[in-house]
Formats: sequence, C-alpha cells, structure tokens
Amino acid sequence: MSSAPASLIAAPSPPPPAPVRRSESSASWRLTDRIGLGFAWLLGLLFCAIAVAIVGYFLVEGLRYLRPSLLVTNPAAGVSESQTGGFLDPLLGTVIISAMAMAIALPAGIAIAVWLSEFGRPAALARVAESGIEMLAGTPSVVLALFGTLLFEAPALGFLSQTSHGIVLGQSFFAASAMLSLVALPMVVATVREGLQAIPSHVREASYAVGKTKIATTRRVLLPAARPSVITGAMLGVGRVIGDTAIVLLLLGGTLTFSSATSTPLLGTLRGTGDTLTGYIYYNAPTGDGNQPSKAYAAAFVLMLIVLTLNVGVDFAVRRSRAGGWS
Amino acid sequence: MKKGMTLRSRTRTFVGLLAAIPALALPAAAGATTLFGSGSSAEQPILNVLFRGYSQAHHHIKFNFLPDGGNAGVKDVQAGRREFAVNTRPPLPSDSGTTQFKLFLDGLCVAVNPSNSLSNLSIAQAKDIFTGVDTSWSQVGGSNLTSTIDPVGRNSSAGSYTFFQSAVLGGKTQSSNVHPVTSDGLVATAVHGDPNAIGYVGLAHSGKGSGIKPVELNGVACDTANIKNETYPLFRFIWGVVPTSHPSLQVENFIEWVRTSKAAGQIISRAGAVPAFNK
Amino acid sequence: MDDDILLEEEQGWSQDQRAEYMLGALVCVVVALLLAMLIFVFHEAWPSFAHNGFAWFGAGGSVDSQIQAIFTSGDLKEAAVYTFHAWPLIWSTILTTGAAVVIAFVSSLFVAVFIVEFAPIRLRRVLEPVVRLLASVPSVIYGLVGVLVLVPFIGNHLITQHEKASVTPIIQLSGSSVLAAVLILTVMIAPIMVAIFAEGLRAVPRGWLEGSLALGVNRWRTFWKVAVRTARPVLVAGTVLATARALGEAVMLSMVSGGVGFAPNPADGLIFLFEPSRPLAATIISNTEQLSSPPMKHTLYAIAAVLLFSAAMLSLIGWAAKQPMKRYGVVA
Repeated sequence: MSSAPASLIAAPSPPPPAPVRRSESSASWRLTDRIGLGFAWLLGLLFCAIAVAIVGYFLVEGLRYLRPSLLVTNPAAGVSESQTGGFLDPLLGTVIISAMAMAIALPAGIAIAVWLSEFGRPAALARVAESGIEMLAGTPSVVLALFGTLLFEAPALGFLSQTSHGIVLGQSFFAASAMLSLVALPMVVATVREGLQAIPSHVREASYAVGKTKIATTRRVLLPAARPSVITGAMLGVGRVIGDTAIVLLLLGGTLTFSSATSTPLLGTLRGTGDTLTGYIYYNAPTGDGNQPSKAYAAAFVLMLIVLTLNVGVDFAVRRSRAGGWS
Repeated sequence: MKKGMTLRSRTRTFVGLLAAIPALALPAAAGATTLFGSGSSAEQPILNVLFRGYSQAHHHIKFNFLPDGGNAGVKDVQAGRREFAVNTRPPLPSDSGTTQFKLFLDGLCVAVNPSNSLSNLSIAQAKDIFTGVDTSWSQVGGSNLTSTIDPVGRNSSAGSYTFFQSAVLGGKTQSSNVHPVTSDGLVATAVHGDPNAIGYVGLAHSGKGSGIKPVELNGVACDTANIKNETYPLFRFIWGVVPTSHPSLQVENFIEWVRTSKAAGQIISRAGAVPAFNK
Repeated sequence: MDDDILLEEEQGWSQDQRAEYMLGALVCVVVALLLAMLIFVFHEAWPSFAHNGFAWFGAGGSVDSQIQAIFTSGDLKEAAVYTFHAWPLIWSTILTTGAAVVIAFVSSLFVAVFIVEFAPIRLRRVLEPVVRLLASVPSVIYGLVGVLVLVPFIGNHLITQHEKASVTPIIQLSGSSVLAAVLILTVMIAPIMVAIFAEGLRAVPRGWLEGSLALGVNRWRTFWKVAVRTARPVLVAGTVLATARALGEAVMLSMVSGGVGFAPNPADGLIFLFEPSRPLAATIISNTEQLSSPPMKHTLYAIAAVLLFSAAMLSLIGWAAKQPMKRYGVVA
C-alpha cells in the first residue's frame, strides 16, 4: 500500500513499444515467387500504360477538335466540315436511348432478382430463369439486333415505329431501346441478386419477427440496403448500352437528326429514327462514309467524358450509400 | 422515412427532366409528309444535302433515308417497304417492277499511296492487279516500288464492287488477295497507311485532303471534267429507283428536281460529284 | 384482439402471395420472350441447316464466293442456292476468341492479384478506377484505335516484304490480321476480367489468409495457394463472361481482322499470325446489307443460331466447371 504512492510519484512506466509493422520483404522468397511478383508488377504497369495510351490518344485528338459549339448545334447535311454542324442530336440520342433502356431494364431486373433471391418457387422456373438470364448475358448484340428486326417489323408492333404504305418499317427509338434493355438486363439481375444475397439472414428474420410481410421487407429493408449493388448494376448496364453499336446500326435508322414519326412532341420522336454518339462516330470516322474525322474525334472525346463521369459519379454514390450500410 | 420521400421526389424530377429531352428535338411541322427511301450508304452524305436543299424549298416534305446498301434498297422498293431507293449500279434484269432514273454522275478513282510514283494505269493492268496476275510493283511499269502489291477493294455486297467487277474485271471475281473492306473510307485509310497499297474509291474520297493519289486510267485523269464528258473509263451514274406501279408523285417531283434544277446541280458539284443533266 | 391479429396475418399472407404471383408472372414473361427469340432465330435458320446438313460446319470451297452465290441466287427468280461451308469462319472465331481469352485470363489474373494484394496504396487507388474506366469504353473506340494505330503499325513495321511476297496471289498480309484481332480483343476483355477477379479475390475471408501467413507461408504463395484457389468459381464466371463478350464482338472485329473468309493455317509458321480472317459475328455485320435476299437471310440467321448455341454452351460449361468447386463450401 505504501508503494502505491511511491509508484505514483515515480516516473510512469514507459509506454509499451509500438508494435513494429514489419512488412514481409520479398527478398526472402524463392526465385519463382519473386519472378511472379515482378510479372504482376509488369502487367499492372502495362495495364496502366495501355489505358493512358488509349484515353490519352482520344483526349489529345478530341481536345484538338472539340469546340463547345459542337455540343449545342444540330448535325446538318453538308459537304465541308464547317457546314456539317455539331452533334447535339446524336448526344441527345445517346441519353434518350440509355434512359429508355434502363427504364425498362432496371425495374424488370430488380423484380427478377428479388423473385430469384427471395421467392424462387417453383424451383424449376427459377432454374430456367437463371439459365435464361445467363444465356442472355452471353448473347451477342448482333443476334439481338437481328431478332429485333424480325420482331419490330411485325404488323402488331407497328405502333412502336413508323408505317409506310401499310408496311411497318421497324426502326425507331422504341425498337432500339427495347433490345438494348435486354443487353443491360443480365448485369442488373446479377449484381442486384448478389447484393440481396449478401445481406445476412438475421436482418430478414428480424423484420419478419416484427410482423412485416416478405414483400414489405424487401421494399423497405433489403432493397435500400442493397442500394450500392443496384447502383453498380445500373451503371454496368448503362455502360454496356452506351457502347453498343450493332443494335443501334440495325434498329435506329441512322438519320442525322431526330426524324419524328408524328408531330406529337414526345411519342413522335421516340417512334421516329435518329442516331447515337456511337453511330455518329462510326459514320464520321476516317473509316466510315461521312468523312468528317475531326467531328468523330470530338464526339469520341465527349463519349469518353460521359463514360468517365458515369464511373466517377457511381463511385461517389456507392461510397455515400455504403456509409450507412451493413459493414 | 424522410430519405425515402426525398428519393421519390428526386426520382420524379429526374424522370420529368428525361421526358423533356425528346421534346427538345423539334417536332415535325404539322401536315408534313415524310418520304421514305433507302439504298447506297456511300451516297448518303450527298443525299442528305440534297434532302435538306429540297426540304428548304418545299417546307412540308421531309425525308427518311435508311442506308442499307444499294442492292437492298432496290429490294425495298420492289417489296413496297420504301418509296424510293438510290443505287450506284445500273439496272439489272432482277430489278423488275421498278423504274430507274439517272440522277447524277460519279466516278470510281483508282488511287495509290503518295509515295508511289505511278501516275498512269491501263484498264488491262488494273485488271491484272486485282485478279492476282500481277503481284509485284516491279511488274507494273511507271512505279518506283519493287515490293508486293497490296490491293484494297470493297466487299461483295457493295455497289462499287459490282461496278468495278463489270467495268474492269470483266465479270471475274476479285482475287482473294484483295483486302475487302466495308466502306470507301476504309479503302482510303488503308491506301493512305500502306505505301504498297492500291485501291478503288469514289471521287469524293480521293480529293486533295484524302492523303491518297488517284492515277490516270488509260491516260485520262479522274476528275469532274472527264467524268462529265464521259471520257474517264470508270464513270457511273447514280440511279434513283421508284416502283413502276403507283409511284409517289412527291418522290417523282424530288427526282426531277435532283436531275434538272440549278440548285441541285450546285449542291451536287459542291459535294464532289458531277451533275449530269442540271442546267 | 386475436381476431385482429389473425386478420392482419391473413392480409399479410395474401399480400405476399400477390407479390409472388406478380413477380413470377414477370419472370415468366421474360423467359417466354427469351424462348420466343430462340424459336424465331432457329426457325429462320432452319432452311440453311436443312440444305447443308452437317457439312454446314465443314470446309469446302471459298466461303466468300459461296456467300456471293447465295446472295445473287436470291435476286434471280431461280432456285435458291444455300451451299455454305462455314469452317473458315468457325475456325477464325475459335482462334481469335480462344487466344484472346487465354492471354487475357493469365494477364488479368496477375493484374487482379496485384491490385488486391501487392500494389502500394497509391497505385491501387489509381488502378481501380482505370480498370473500371477501361471496362466501360465502347467497342467503337477500340476499333478506331485498332484501325488507325495498330493495323498500320503491324502492316508496315512487323510484316516483312519477304513474307508478303511469299503468299501474295492467295492472300494479302496487310496489318488486319489474327494478331491485330487478338491484341485488340485481349485489351477489350481484360478489364472486365480484372474487375470480376478483383472482386472475387477481395471476398476471400481474411482469416484464411492470415492463418496461412501465421504458418509461415510467404505472402505470394499464400495469396496464390489460398485466395486464388478459393476464388476459382469467380474466375470461371469472369472467364465465361469475357468469352461471351469476345464471341459477340462484331463491329470492331470486322474492321481489324481482315474481312476475308480465310482459315489461318498454324503450319505456316510466323506468317500465321499475320493472316487475315473473319469471325462469325463480323460476318453477320458485314453482310447485313444483304438481308433482303431470302437465302442470305436464312444463312445469316443460321450463323446467329450458331452464336446463340455457343453462348448457351458457354454457360453450361461454366456451370459444370463450378460444380466440383461447390464441395469447398464457397459461394459460387
């Protein structure tokens, strides 16, 4: 007891030494392991280099040719570069098509993912649905485009595109978006399903314990918790939709500007034909018929900017929603 | 609870904004007629300018052109899917049920890389090159190169290929060592990038800024004057195709305008083609 | 009180039932649509298969002249010609897709391991967004880079005059070749694989790795022997996805692979890499202008049916490959 005040007066014991973080040096490894690590470093840096090269090439060329007026002028038929206007219509076309494709694919994908992970009876239907979605994920977009030409030229679907002398033409924003939603669907289903399955079962059980129905649980508890996956799935889907060329070439009609079917403001445009940035780039590149390479480079730059912004925006959104998640 | 409500209102405003975007696209004028056509994708740039010129003069007419290829365009007209088509090859017996009009002139230039000193080629030599008989530049007189010839051509569904086949190759198929590409632009790119290349492109793609050098055929240069007086061997007409029974009157008016009006003639020459009948 | 609870339970139950039926109906609609697509495509493809039988997949004659014969026969009112031996196209597809997937798999695995475990923090923060960005670049951009940069480089700097002269009347060794196609395809599918592999590797329970480290195994071996082995189902899934993407790539490959229906011959030595070819999907897209001729339409749909079938086979192979891995209790 008397030592206690002494120990209090005495110098406090030095703090325990901080644990020395000794990261393992690769010098102690076997040769094959070191070669492996070197190979991994090499490939990682090569990867970066290729990315920088591709993005940098289009950045440089695009900055050389991009003028803000291009973004707000409609494309015009012309011969020389100064007469052909900008690419406002293809830009809007890209936005419209991705919005419409995701408007179909996102709700449908979430619904299918919810059914597969929460319900899933009868089991045979679940298995068929799973294999179907997987097969759809592997289907080339050319095949979907071919099928789309068959489908939308049927007289019953004439209201989705334009009709000329009783024959359905089959190219419109509706047609292209419908097929593009099929392209985006497997991504959404896979990611949302993974997100839902990652939620521990005690969350569901707690919700059932307070009397919530399955569907209410899904709507109010599970889906909000799986929001990062939903956003990731949506972003993956949009990425694929924006980059698709085959479906756009066959099902969108390739007109320079929006060519509305009727004079109704919204429906007319969607039933009509138009173009997207990818189609515009394909047409005007040095390799296409339009022969306006500077405009093509500018458009490619804008397209990459859109993709970059998408990536960054989604990163941000996912990080924000993960902040309140189940860590 | 609060988060859900703001999410819903946020979604609503987002959807509303998206729905407004197509409205930015100017809706068609009330009462506008749309004329549907299809055909050659190589002629699409010049056709778009012609459409615009015609629509400016006749405000209620709009055009919708699907570039699915000249041959497919004729089929579309035969089946009634389209009201008119534009083709780059002369009428064939299989084009029954259609009436075809000559619209304007164009030429197929044979071009080499600027580093090749070749300036003149005979039709027979061109045939030998593209059928695989001549394989080295040393076999072709007038060229400073001694390397292998790299011929570049069009794919088998192209009107340019059919025309080249009948006019130069005498009906034979292109040799398998000709690199078939799917557009004139790709031919120009390939010839521009390869010093040993030779290819055939439309007049519009072989101009001064294209980076390739058109050669004379049988001593005649590939330019608008020689095409207009039809002395250049590979001149061709661009054809407008309409159905024989019940052609649309507006389409016929358009075709007449393209053929004979002064405005159309100016558009055609500025685009790099050659007006044929315009005043 | 009890009646109220019972009533609430009943309402809750039928609410669930209703939701289940509605969602199930939606799933049925989507499945029906997919089935309809399968049926339509095979129905349109049937005449081409019926006329050729199994010789459809074999070799025989020049594919390009067969295509032209099919197209022109649809023009004339004579009997339609359907003769088609697609082996050069099939071989080209197998070659480009297979080589690209193999190269991409090896490199992506190393890059994924690097990103997840061995890269310094700053480099990791740069590499992750780079991978995601590359994975979403549209294929048109890759095609343009290929045609404008890679193809002229190969044609002018890698192929020697002697090689060109040795094959000249038969094929042309321009830069559009097997090499260009495989390189661009690899660069296109590698980011997808890296992203999927990295996610799978990150999901390996940390404790397993720490246990191995505690036993004295070095970091490299630990990661390979434990994490990569555990993540094998993810590796399979990523490879299947990337292969499907490579199979379906049409527009870009039509620009850089050579455009000729020629079957590259490995026995040719180094020249083999520079020989032109044309995979199945690129054949469809370069012949869409001929869809109006009925025999050509049936032939193109037959090619599409083969592609659909390979996609189905791919998922089947993926599922089969994951089955033995399920023993280890890892969620596939």
